[in-house]
Amino acid sequence: MNKSNIVFSIILLFAVCMTAFAQPEISPERKQAIDSLALEKVKDLGKYISIIGNKDTPFSEANRVIDRALELFAEGSQMGVSSLHRQDIKYYGIREYFQRLMALNYDRVRIEWFNIQYISDLVRQPDGRYVGVITVYQRFTGESDDGLKYVDTTKKDITVYVERKQTQIQGRIIGFWDVLLGDIRVTETKPE
Amino acid sequence: MKSLNQLLILLFLVVASVGVFSCKSQKKIAAQEAAAAEARKIAKAKADLEELLSDNSGLTLVEKENRLKVIKDMNIDDAEVQELIVKVDEKLKREREALMAKERAEKLAREREEALRREGSEKKGLDDYFDLIANSSNMATSNRYIGEALGLFASEEVPVLVIISKSGNIVDYDRPTTIRKYLEYLKDQKVVRNKIENVVYDANGKITELELIKK
Repeated sequence: MNKSNIVFSIILLFAVCMTAFAQPEISPERKQAIDSLALEKVKDLGKYISIIGNKDTPFSEANRVIDRALELFAEGSQMGVSSLHRQDIKYYGIREYFQRLMALNYDRVRIEWFNIQYISDLVRQPDGRYVGVITVYQRFTGESDDGLKYVDTTKKDITVYVERKQTQIQGRIIGFWDVLLGDIRVTETKPE
Repeated sequence: MKSLNQLLILLFLVVASVGVFSCKSQKKIAAQEAAAAEARKIAKAKADLEELLSDNSGLTLVEKENRLKVIKDMNIDDAEVQELIVKVDEKLKREREALMAKERAEKLAREREEALRREGSEKKGLDDYFDLIANSSNMATSNRYIGEALGLFASEEVPVLVIISKSGNIVDYDRPTTIRKYLEYLKDQKVVRNKIENVVYDANGKITELELIKK
């Protein structure tokens, strides 16, 4: 490689880096749309969890919903699970968590998510991704025919990643915002 | 003869006194049995009421209400039983109100579904199917509508784009999906958050691309 090629390569690398860091801040309207989109994905997850846990949901349907719910998560994300009967919080891969949820040893399971809101706004990172944290409250009720009933309310923090991506749809380049959920951490567990 | 008369009188007195004592004893036994029966009745009533309170009875609401009525009709004079009756009464009242609310909601959903069905009975548009699927009261119905709606498309894999914002020439989309997944999404989430923005058809009149926008 001659000297001019080396200089050209350095300039090119510099230009690429500058382009990456010089991505303009998006307008408040666009940012608001992304905020809403991420919040909507968390609400969608709450509904999916409720369907998967519900004992009235047929097995095949629950498996289909698991596949849909998994599409919301970033690879390798984990879900924290707590109980009033133990101190520690166990963490499972998302698929394993869903499968365990589906197989819970109760005759009736009801899961509701409420007070879903940002506790840390989506903030643009140096790599161009937006990262934020959304908190939810989950009320879990499990009942057995023999009278056993377990109820708790957990507060969960969900890390949210939003990334600008491109794809080709029927020959057209489409720019879209990909929302992916990360780890879900339990921060509080209390009876009812 | 005189001594015989005296003997008979004595015998009569003995027989009479035995009869009196025997009668008193029978009354006492009967009273004890009545008290035991009352105690059993109270214990049974308490057990039944506690079962009704505990949610472990496995009975329907009507059966629970009937059981409570039977206990009330016994008019048991026991403070604890009366207290339990009040508690069960309140609990069943709450259950009755919850059941009525659920029935009202189901009735409304059915009426809405029926209204939507009537509105679109001649020719359902895609918008109608979105509403019908999201508002279906059961899975079989929503699956049927999904099947019908898919008939409007060239395939289940037709792309669906959802616009989340438009700012000048900049259009922001959600992650693209397919029509099958989108219709199932409506079924799962039970809400229609987007409206139709643009539809592309092929030569056979089937939809090959669908663009939606947030409402």
